[in-house]
Amino acid sequence: MTVSTALELRNVIRRFGTVVAVNDVSLNVSKGEFVTLLGPSGSGKTSTLRLVGGFENLDGGSILLNGQRIDHLPAYRRDTATIFQSGALFPHKTVAENVAYGLRMRNVPKDAIMKRISESLDIVRLKGFEARYPAQLSGGQKQRVALARSLAVRPAILLFDEPLSALDLSLRLQLRAEIKRLHDELKFTAIYVTHDQGEAMAMSSRVAVMNAGAIEQIDKPETVFHSPTSEFVYTFIGESCCLPVRVTSAGIEDKKGQAVGLRLGERLAEGECRIYVRPSRLRLISEAALLPNQLTARIHFIEFLGDLYRYHLKAGALELAADHAGSIGHGVGDEIEIGWRNEDMRVFR
Amino acid sequence: MSDVAPRGAEPLVLKVLALAFTVFIVGYILVPILVTVAMSFNDAAMIRFPINVWSMKWYADFFGSPQWMDALENSILIAIGTAAISTTSGVLCAWAFQRFHIPFRDMWYILIMMPLFMPGVVLGLGVAIAFGGISIGGYAFYGSRELVMLAHSLWAMPLVFMLMEATFKTIDYRIVEASYDLGGGPVRTFFEVVLPLVSTGIVSSLLFAFVISLNEFVMALFLTDRDTQTLPVLMWLSLRSAGTPRLAVASVILALTVFTCLTVIMLWYIRQLRKVAR
Repeated sequence: MTVSTALELRNVIRRFGTVVAVNDVSLNVSKGEFVTLLGPSGSGKTSTLRLVGGFENLDGGSILLNGQRIDHLPAYRRDTATIFQSGALFPHKTVAENVAYGLRMRNVPKDAIMKRISESLDIVRLKGFEARYPAQLSGGQKQRVALARSLAVRPAILLFDEPLSALDLSLRLQLRAEIKRLHDELKFTAIYVTHDQGEAMAMSSRVAVMNAGAIEQIDKPETVFHSPTSEFVYTFIGESCCLPVRVTSAGIEDKKGQAVGLRLGERLAEGECRIYVRPSRLRLISEAALLPNQLTARIHFIEFLGDLYRYHLKAGALELAADHAGSIGHGVGDEIEIGWRNEDMRVFR
Repeated sequence: MSDVAPRGAEPLVLKVLALAFTVFIVGYILVPILVTVAMSFNDAAMIRFPINVWSMKWYADFFGSPQWMDALENSILIAIGTAAISTTSGVLCAWAFQRFHIPFRDMWYILIMMPLFMPGVVLGLGVAIAFGGISIGGYAFYGSRELVMLAHSLWAMPLVFMLMEATFKTIDYRIVEASYDLGGGPVRTFFEVVLPLVSTGIVSSLLFAFVISLNEFVMALFLTDRDTQTLPVLMWLSLRSAGTPRLAVASVILALTVFTCLTVIMLWYIRQLRKVAR
């Protein structure tokens, strides 16, 4: 193993009764890397994080931090620091006392603690808030104190447990940018758990998409977005429409057996399959004419989304949506042509 | 248009009835105390109305009497001991219930709560029989203050346990995890984070246990001797020989102590509320 690996999970398993929450997960996090565990609720991402933090017991596998096994250690002996969803600040301690807590537990001398408090609060831009109590802070400020408290102990790895999910949208975007900035500046190692793909894409060095207790794909955000390796990753990241079809020697029909006006550039093997397209990549009417894949569909209803119009379309039993900047001059009930490029389509069986 | 009648439009009869009821309830609660307080300032040698001459004579008598001062001291020492024993054991027990998986949990719960519902006579007699002849290293357990403290804790500890079990449930467990996460071991976490979070519950527990022990009569009657008898026991004994206003003075002292405890609980509670709302 190389020196640059900060955290290593080897075949980690965690069961709750008969449910396997974390199923044979292996993961390497390099020093300075920001890895996001992205997945729906129940996908095992939080359980994985809690295993690293020491809040859950392992049912199999091992966890190494800087080359040392830590899975047998209690949470208070691990060099990890968690930023909880709720902030979990100590309500009876001031901001300064909160930040000092981890340092006091590590028996850092008093003057060093004072210095570290002011450094940490400086980093999260909360200078002057030392004497306040958590109840006197806003949601965003609480999370920044939580971040300062964890940064102050200079852990080998920071563990973020959906820290922004309790905040409103504008604050979430603001703090997201701030965490990104801090990571660029301080180069800390982190695992970040979220179900928000926007957060995952914006902040991560690598994104691990989790489903049913396992990592489906782990790669750079761009790769995960543009080249998803599985149907789950494709549908979980970005918007998509599913066209369930049956390919026969006579042509392509929907699930009810009716022929649909779907003309594909490449011939598909016979049998049932699911064709996926993204609403943002579909072209309409005249723009569709030159594209290799085309579908004739009827406008079902139209949503106005501000920047875009979203056309909800039906072709037999197939339903899909297409985005278009501005109106296309057709109304509900009209039949129109839709087209897309080969690279904007995925077929799964 | 609102269907709700505007405020103040209730029939006059209802208002008068409500006021009368309130006065009755307040009076019902206060009369025994007020009568006792008034009687304690009676100059006469008997507890009897009307009070012809008012004086502090019986207060001087109470505080000048070694027998009564001993009883007061016994009462207070036993109450402090009970508060310490039952709060320590009750808090730890409730924390264990909250924190750990305990086999036969419900059975233990019932067992812990049972003494609270036992008649004092049963507990008093039981403890008296069990410890009647026992002495440890020549120290006779029976008749000692310590035995009364333990007996009183049979009542106070379940109460503390119940109170603290409810209080511990209000803790956001993530905060405890945050302490572990930052390197605080179980003991430091308990003292640095858990206890301060439940300080209102602890103060209430201490004072409730104190008051329960101070007020307890039956078990104390069974378990004390002449040297360790508590104030209620001495009051009962002296009522049978001579019903002087000294009894009223003793009652006032007991009642005042209880009031003080309740005030402390109130003030502490308000202080905590302020802290959260700041």
